[in-house]
Amino acid sequence: MKLLAIETTGARASVALIDEAGLCKVQSSDETMNHLQHLIPMIQQLLTKCELSINDVTGILVSEGPGSFTGIRIGMATAKGLAQALNVPILGVPTLRAFAYHMEQEEVIACPVFDARRNQVYAGAYGWERSQDGSDCGQAVQLVKDGAYELTDFLQKLETAVSTREKSAQAEAKLLFFGDGLDRYEDAIRGWAQEAADRGIEVEFAPKQRRYQEALSVAKLGRRLFLEGKQTPLGQMEPVYLRQAEAQRKLEEKMGKTV
Amino acid sequence: MKDGQFITMGIESSCDETAIAIVADGRKVRSNIISSQIAVHKVFGGVVPEIASRHHLNNINSVYQKALDEAGVTMEDVDLIGVTCGPGLVGALLIGLAHAKAVAFATGKPLVGVHHIQGHISSNYVAFEDLEPPFMALVVSGGHTCIVDVKDYNSFEVLGQTRDDAVGEAFDKVARVLGLGYPGGPLIDKLAKEGNPHAIEFPRVFLEKDSLDFSFSGIKTGVLNYLNGQRQKGLSVCEADVAASFQQAVMDVIVAKTIRAAKTRRQKRIVVAGGVAANSRLREMLGDACQKEGIRMYCPPPILCTDNGVMIACAAYYKYQAGMTSDFTLDAFPNLPLEA
Repeated sequence: MKLLAIETTGARASVALIDEAGLCKVQSSDETMNHLQHLIPMIQQLLTKCELSINDVTGILVSEGPGSFTGIRIGMATAKGLAQALNVPILGVPTLRAFAYHMEQEEVIACPVFDARRNQVYAGAYGWERSQDGSDCGQAVQLVKDGAYELTDFLQKLETAVSTREKSAQAEAKLLFFGDGLDRYEDAIRGWAQEAADRGIEVEFAPKQRRYQEALSVAKLGRRLFLEGKQTPLGQMEPVYLRQAEAQRKLEEKMGKTV
Repeated sequence: MKDGQFITMGIESSCDETAIAIVADGRKVRSNIISSQIAVHKVFGGVVPEIASRHHLNNINSVYQKALDEAGVTMEDVDLIGVTCGPGLVGALLIGLAHAKAVAFATGKPLVGVHHIQGHISSNYVAFEDLEPPFMALVVSGGHTCIVDVKDYNSFEVLGQTRDDAVGEAFDKVARVLGLGYPGGPLIDKLAKEGNPHAIEFPRVFLEKDSLDFSFSGIKTGVLNYLNGQRQKGLSVCEADVAASFQQAVMDVIVAKTIRAAKTRRQKRIVVAGGVAANSRLREMLGDACQKEGIRMYCPPPILCTDNGVMIACAAYYKYQAGMTSDFTLDAFPNLPLEA
């Protein structure tokens, strides 16, 4: 098994190859770049590094969003084209959930926050649950549903979820924030964190070099789902935008429908 | 190769059509699949780029499969992949490009980026098997209006182009103010048949003497002013007359300039391409003018006028014959010039 993971939903793109044992090789760039221009060359470099050809790839994993609409589409169009031409299965991997695989630590709740503009964030929260039999390192558990939120709304939901979870005797209470939403909202989150500290909630911010979307995490989560037998039929493969096109929203508003 | 023929796949997604075709030996259509989004954008009165991009992504894989199936070929038979890389809506272009690059990379087939206008011009090679350059080309569509001296398959000189709206855009805008709907071209063409083309004298904008450029924003304003004037005076408006007169004014300028371009360059052939090439009044007027001047006019059937993959495959074939290919860094160029 050789799965190719594609992550283009943020400013930095990366690709990874993972095998059934979870061994992974990554190709990424620290530069923000034109994903359309560089994605295939990046995959080529990764394959060369692994001494493999594209025909050795047995499945495609693609970060399905939320994130930059254009970025998601470049990754997904490429992933679908590859899967179709290679005749291999494809799987859409939830972009926010993948952040739980950045750390894979029980003590940490991953809180990815993306700047969704219009005063909203795309965000979710994931705890880490060790498997009962210790057969693997565990898995992500959703604490706050992926969605487009106003920041204060998200933080409130987060706090509710964390306090409920603490009551059910889970150890962790450290929130680790990720995502390009921090570029804009770090101060606001810090302000909230100062108050939340009184209620026993510890907040940290991921260091810059681990803050954003990574193909490595997409590969880890995707591999796990893939081993569980999950695949997305090509015809049902659709981005998770979490938001309508602006023109569609305005039209529905005008027609008096609820959004 | 299939049946001893060189097989090219052409991929087009620059605006609101997701189109893929299979063409043999550069000119023979084996399949021509076009997934149009007209119905999707109608309610908005024009193409919404974000919505177009979303639909392209959802449609492209089934269009690709249909194009192969209908042509009776597999990807193994395909020798070349051509794809529109500009000009157009960047979000729309990149779906076709990402798909084309992925398929080319996965199958090891050569890839060629194609200019959308070169594609439109090339649709005539498919429609007319004996046609070869040089000739004069008039490209008229929703996004483009230009007169091109086609010197060879891959050599172009743009003699004139629009300085503001494309002709198809002007049709859309006038159709909107007349309350006809979208897209405007076919609706105005149809309604104009019932009207008097000389009922209202809208301005003909010829710009500077000798210029082969176009400007259509003025005539749109002219139509608006006329409608407002009638309304203020409490007079009724005959929509058919407005449509016919507007169309006449636009075509008078286009035909005059195209003929002038051909005569200046001593071209005995004029090739028409693009969505507006399907306009019946344009075909009629340019046909008459060409006859008077001893010029032969070529105009492809409507199915090849609209955006399609056939024209991209054909253009890609002639680029490939000339040794041109693209590498995997091929990008989308929303404002790509034709003379590169």
